[in-house]
Amino acid sequence: MRRHGPEDRLAKDGRSTGEAPVIWFFRFLLGKMYELNGNNRRPMASATGWTVARGSVLAGVACLILVSCGGGSSGPGTPPAPPPPPPPPPMSMAEAFRFLNQATFGATEAEARELIDIGIDDWIDRQVAQTASLQLSYLNTLPVPERPPQLQPDRVDAWFRNVIDGPDQLRQRVAFALSQIMVVSEVGALRQAPYGLAGYYDMLVENAFGNFRDLLEEVTLHPSMGVYLSMLGNQRADPSRNISPDENYAREMMQLFTIGLVELNLDGTARTDAQGHEIPTYNQDIIEGFAHVFTGWNYAEGANFNRARRTIPTQITPMELYSNYHSTESKLLLNGVRLPEGQSGQQDLQDALDNVFAHPNVGPFIATRLIERLVTSNPTPGYVERVASRFNDNGSGVRGDLEAVVKAILMDEEARASGVTSSSGKLKEPLLRLTQLWRAYDARSADGSFVFRPSTNEVFAQGPLQSPSVFNFFSPFYAPPGEIADAELTAPELQIATEFRNTLVTNHFYQQAFRRHSDRANLGSDEVYIDISEELTLVSDPNALIDRVADKLLAGEISTTLREQSRTMVETREVDSAAARVAEALFLIVSSPEFARQH
Amino acid sequence: MTRVNRREFLKASGAGMAAAALPVTGLTQMVAPAGSYSDYRALVCVFLFGGNDSFNMLVPRSDAEYNVYAQSRQNLALDKDALLPISPLIPDGAQYGLHPNMGAIQTLFDSARVAFIANVGPLIEPTTREQYVNRTVALPPRLFSHNDQQDQWQSLRGREPGKTGWAGRVGDLLRRNVSDQQLAINVSLAGNQLFQAADETVAYTMGRNGPLNFRGMGNAERAQLRRAAFRQVLGAEYDTMYERAFRDIQQRAVETVDRVTAALGNAQPLSTDMPGSGLGQQLSTVARLISVREQLQMQRQIFFVSTGGFDSHDNQLERQPPLLGDVSDSIGAFYRATVELGVSSSVTTFTQSDFGRTLTSNGDGTDHGWGGVQLVVGDAVRGRELYGRYPRLEIGGPDDIRRGRLIPGISADQYAATLARWIGVPDGDLGHVAPHLHNFAQRDLGFLI
Repeated sequence: MRRHGPEDRLAKDGRSTGEAPVIWFFRFLLGKMYELNGNNRRPMASATGWTVARGSVLAGVACLILVSCGGGSSGPGTPPAPPPPPPPPPMSMAEAFRFLNQATFGATEAEARELIDIGIDDWIDRQVAQTASLQLSYLNTLPVPERPPQLQPDRVDAWFRNVIDGPDQLRQRVAFALSQIMVVSEVGALRQAPYGLAGYYDMLVENAFGNFRDLLEEVTLHPSMGVYLSMLGNQRADPSRNISPDENYAREMMQLFTIGLVELNLDGTARTDAQGHEIPTYNQDIIEGFAHVFTGWNYAEGANFNRARRTIPTQITPMELYSNYHSTESKLLLNGVRLPEGQSGQQDLQDALDNVFAHPNVGPFIATRLIERLVTSNPTPGYVERVASRFNDNGSGVRGDLEAVVKAILMDEEARASGVTSSSGKLKEPLLRLTQLWRAYDARSADGSFVFRPSTNEVFAQGPLQSPSVFNFFSPFYAPPGEIADAELTAPELQIATEFRNTLVTNHFYQQAFRRHSDRANLGSDEVYIDISEELTLVSDPNALIDRVADKLLAGEISTTLREQSRTMVETREVDSAAARVAEALFLIVSSPEFARQH
Repeated sequence: MTRVNRREFLKASGAGMAAAALPVTGLTQMVAPAGSYSDYRALVCVFLFGGNDSFNMLVPRSDAEYNVYAQSRQNLALDKDALLPISPLIPDGAQYGLHPNMGAIQTLFDSARVAFIANVGPLIEPTTREQYVNRTVALPPRLFSHNDQQDQWQSLRGREPGKTGWAGRVGDLLRRNVSDQQLAINVSLAGNQLFQAADETVAYTMGRNGPLNFRGMGNAERAQLRRAAFRQVLGAEYDTMYERAFRDIQQRAVETVDRVTAALGNAQPLSTDMPGSGLGQQLSTVARLISVREQLQMQRQIFFVSTGGFDSHDNQLERQPPLLGDVSDSIGAFYRATVELGVSSSVTTFTQSDFGRTLTSNGDGTDHGWGGVQLVVGDAVRGRELYGRYPRLEIGGPDDIRRGRLIPGISADQYAATLARWIGVPDGDLGHVAPHLHNFAQRDLGFLI
C-alpha cells in the first residue's frame, strides 16, 4: 500500500524538481513580472513603499492573467468580457506572516515576499504540488542501531530537517496537525519501533492532501497504530475462556480520530435531544461491534498469526489479515447498521470504515480539530460549517478531500480577517515557537543535523510522535481557569504552558540567544545555532537592531513596551559586546507573550 | 450499600433529572471564617493514569472467592500462592492478598498504615445492576472513556458542566485560613490538572524535581536588569486572552520560583532512600517541600503526582507488575520519609485512577471498566482495613454490567468528601467539594481519624 520509491528523499536545500505544469506557468508569469518591475526582487527599505511597489506589480500580473485567459476563452463574435473587478489590495507583510504562521513551521521574510508575489491561491497550489519530504528514506541511510530506541533521536532529526528546510511546508504542517489527531507515540512500546514511527509519519505526510477515507484506512492498518492501540494481534472472541476482542482501537478511533463522543451539527456545535441533552454518538454495543471488526490483523509475515513478529520490514508494512482469527459474528456499527455474519475480515474492515466515514460528524469533527491546530482555538460555528461543508463535498461531489479542507481552512474569511479580538488566533504550539525562530534565523548545526538534546519533549512537552498518550499533548477542550474558562472558550496549548514548562522553554530561548549563535566559537558540531550576522552589523543603532529582529519575528509589529524594554537591554550593553546586544533583544522578544501568540 | 431507599428510587424513576439539577451554592457564603490552623495537614494524590487493573492489585485468596476470580480472569489470573496475604482487622468472611510486587504496601497494611477502599468509582447516586440495565438511574456521562472518567474522578462534576476540580474547591474553601502561605495550597508536580482547577485560587506547577530558576535572571546586576525588563514586558496590556493567560503563567513563575528554591535550598537532605522512578522522584520532591513547610508558612497543602502506563490492553501480565511495584515502593518510601520528617500523621496519601478494568481478558489484556480499588496511606488512616464491600468478581454476577465491568459500591464523591473533611472542610461545605454526596447515606467512609 505504501511505497517509498527511490525519488523519496529528505529534502534539505533547493526546490523539488517535480513541479506541476501550473507551477511552470506561474514561473513564467513571475518572470514577466520581474521584467515589468525592472527586476527589483528586493523589497524597498520602508515596508509601506514596498507594498505600494508590489501593488503595481500585482496589478500588472492581474492584467497578464486577464490577457492570457481572455485570449483562450473568447471566440470570434462573443461580446467583450465585462470589466474586471478591481484587484484585491496587496497583502501586507503582517498579513503574509499571519498566513505563514498558520500554514508553515514559521514565517520567514523570504517566504512572505514570495507569498505576496504570487498570492495565497497560487502559494497553496504550489505547496500541494511539492514532493513530500519524508523521514524513512533518511533513516534508511543510517546504520541499523544495536538497540532500536537509539534511532529515535535520528527520527526527530529527520522531522526537524523537513520542517525547518523542507519546501513542502504546508504538507508538513498539516501532517503535524494530523499526527496530533491520529496519535501514535514513541512513549511506550513504539520506542522499540523507530522505523514504524517514521513510516507512520511519512504516511500522514503523503496523505495530508489526500482523501480522509484513505487516510483512515492507512492509519487503521499501520502496524504502529496496531501496536499503539492494540489492534495488532487482536483476535475473535473465545467465550470458553471469557475472552472478548480488544476494544481499544474501536473506541479511540471513534472518539479521537473521526466522530467524537456526541453528535454534532454541521457547524460543530453539539446536537441535543428534546430534553436538551447531548446525544452520544455510540454506545458500548457499537464499540464491541467495531472491536469484533478489528480482529485477525497482525504483522504482515504471512505464515502464522501467533508467530508474527516485528522486524524492520513488518514495522512499515500494513498489517495483514489472518482469517482464522477474525470474528465471524455479526457486528453492530453506527447508525443501526449491522454487518452480516461470516463476512471476510477485509470486507468487514471496508464496510466498517465506510460506516464511520459516512457519519455526519466526521466533517465538523475533523474541520474543528484541523482549524484548532492551524488557525484558532475558538472558531465560530460559521467557520466550522464552511470547512465541514467542504469536507462533505469538495465542490465536485467528493467527500473527505483534505486538500479542499485545508484550502477552506486557510482561505476562510475568519482565517484572513485582519481585526484582532480577544479570542481570535491561538497560542502557538511551543515547538512552533522554536521552529519559527529557527526558520527566521536560518538555524543549522555544523554537521547539518538537528539532533535535539535532551529531547524536545523534555523542554517543550511536545515532539513529533512523542505524546504522553493517545489524547495528545493537550486536550482540544482545555480551558485554563479564569477568563477563558469563564467565557466557555478553550486554549488547548495553554494546558502544557505551566510555570515549569514556560520556564524550561524560556531558558531554552535564553541559551539559544546568548550561546548558540553564529558569532560564537567552539560550538559543538551538532549544536543548532542561529545566524545573527545581519544583526551584528546593526548593534551601534539599537533602534535599527530591534526593528530588524521585529521584522523577522513579528512582521515588524512590535508593542511599545517590548520595543522600549528591548532597547533598554541593548543600550545598557557595551557596543563592543555586539553578540550580547543582539542576544538581549532577541531573548526578550522571543520569550514575550506577543511572540507566543499566533495571530 | 446497594439497597435503594424510597427517596432515591423516586428520583431514579424521575428520568434521572433530579441529580442533574443540583443546587450550586455561591462559594462566598461557604468560606470558612478567617483564621489560622494550629496544625499542618497535607493530602497527596497519586493518580494512576490509564486505569489501574485493581482487581489484580487486591485479590481474594480464600478458595471460593479465588475460584470465582480465576474463572472470570482466566489467563490473566494471578497465582494464588504468589499473592501477599493481608489480614484486615475486621474480616468480611473472605481472605485477601496483594499483588506479589506490593511488599511495601503489605508491610504498611500490617502495621495499620494502609486502608483499601473497595470498589469505588464515579457515581451520581447509588446504582444497582438492575437500575443500570433498565436505565432508571442517573449515571456519570461517558463511562469507560479515559479522559471523561479522569475528569469525573478529578472534578466529581457528574452531569454538570463544572470547570473546577475537587482539590481546587477544597483550596478555595480553605484559602482564608491560610492567607499567609507563601505557596499555593494546590501544587502539581505532574502538569495542569482539572483536579486543582479552582475559581478563587491558582495551582502552582513545578517539575518532578521541583521548580526551575530562570536563566540569566539571577542576582548579578545585569541579570536583575534583565529580570526587570522581562517583568515590564509581562506587565503590559495584551489584546488576546491567550497572551494574557500566558503572561499570567510567566508572572507566577517568575514571582514564585525564588521563594520556593530559597526554601528548598535550606532543606535538610532526606536520609530515606527514594526510588529513582518518576513517581519516586515526584514524591521525593513532595517530601522536600513538606520539610520546608514552616519556612513557607504552609499549613494546608494538596499535592498532585502521577504515574502512567496502566492502560493494559495488551501484555498485561508483563506491563502491570512493574507499575504496581513502583507504586508500592514509591508510596512506601514516601511514607517512611514522612516518618523521618515527623509528619506521618499529618500527611495522607491516596490513589485515584481513570477506572477499574474488565474482569474478562481480550487475549492478553483488559479493557476499560468502572469501579476499582484505591488505597490510602498515613498515620491518620484507620488502617489494616477494607472499606466498602469487595465486589463479587463474577461475570454476570450482581456487580457486573457486562464483561466484568463492575458497578462501584462507593462513590468517588464519598471518597473525596472523607479526605476533604480530614484536611479541614467543614461538614456543611462538603457538598461543595462532592456535589453528589447528598445522594449517599454515608458522608464519611471513616477511613481517616
